[in-house]
Amino acid sequence: MKKFCIVTLLSIGAYAHTPIMSCIDEGDGTITCEGGFSDGSSAGGVTFKVEQKGQIILKERLNSQSEINFKKPNEPFIAIFDAGPQHEVYIKSQDIKE
Amino acid sequence: MRFRNTVLIALLSSSLMGQSQVMYTPNMTLNGGQSIDLLHVQMHPYTNLKTYDMGIQHKGDKKLEPEAFYVIHKTIKTDLKKTLHPIVFKGKNEALAYTSNYKAKQMGDHLFVMKPAPSFSEIEGVYLQMITKMIVNVAGKPTDWDKELGLEAEIIPLSKPYGIWAGSSFSGMVKASGIPVPYALIEVELLNYEIDIKNHKTGKMLTNAPHQSFKVIEIKANEKGEFTFHIPRKGWWSFNAKGVGHSKKYNDRELSQDAVIWVEAKENK
Repeated sequence: MKKFCIVTLLSIGAYAHTPIMSCIDEGDGTITCEGGFSDGSSAGGVTFKVEQKGQIILKERLNSQSEINFKKPNEPFIAIFDAGPQHEVYIKSQDIKE
Repeated sequence: MRFRNTVLIALLSSSLMGQSQVMYTPNMTLNGGQSIDLLHVQMHPYTNLKTYDMGIQHKGDKKLEPEAFYVIHKTIKTDLKKTLHPIVFKGKNEALAYTSNYKAKQMGDHLFVMKPAPSFSEIEGVYLQMITKMIVNVAGKPTDWDKELGLEAEIIPLSKPYGIWAGSSFSGMVKASGIPVPYALIEVELLNYEIDIKNHKTGKMLTNAPHQSFKVIEIKANEKGEFTFHIPRKGWWSFNAKGVGHSKKYNDRELSQDAVIWVEAKENK
């Protein structure tokens, strides 16, 4: 029984928790990022960070819509969806389109 | 006389056969949110035999605007009809088509539906209305790709219409107003020409077919309206279930209401 539970948990962990993120330049001086998981589950409350020159300049939690909107930094940056160790997604600012 | 009739029937069939309603954007699978351009044109995707004026009426005196164009995202429907811009598209000939622009901002599936006005085909003397679905996904989150919309003619995907490796398959179910269509005839066609969406024209031809039967591939659904097709190469593929809609008359003339869905296969390099 114990083995069955472990296998089940591993399966859920391996499949359901593949993190994904998308960011878009709103064209109004702000960026919106949305986090999620490949099975469609919500990422509300998951940590989101913005890194610039190795420094974290923003650390927030995604809202109930799994989104965050923030002022577009002047210098290049990296948006980070941090769903835990080995469950991070990085998007460079140059890859964010309008 | 018999020969003449045979030739006539063959010509009629070849013209009606292989027509599809193209709804094209350069990429169905986006890694992040972005604005996308869409093209809506009625043509023969494989042969580029002829491009048709969308919504043209009997005797060509009027061209009606599409009846509906909208997107479903996370179950919310947004009307996009006002985003349509009429253009002249140049395939083998020039004809009325439309472009539109859409901001695919949020992650997930953006399920587009185009319901053109029936367009009259002079040669066959019938109206054609190809109700068309196409799905763009942002970042890989699955949300709406398998939604059944209860359209008059509809192909409901049983596998995702994007994220398909060339050489794998696509499965769907043909329905008319929510009712499965047993043994529906489905025409499968590769979009065999590059599309220049900015300059409103077709580009170079992609493949040569060794025989007519490779140009428009005909398959049939099973008794539940389900089908599976193994996609042999990368590209945009049209699945067109012919004449499945329950409406058979429009302006006192025969109407063929078809269900179209586009899928995109990519090469596994």
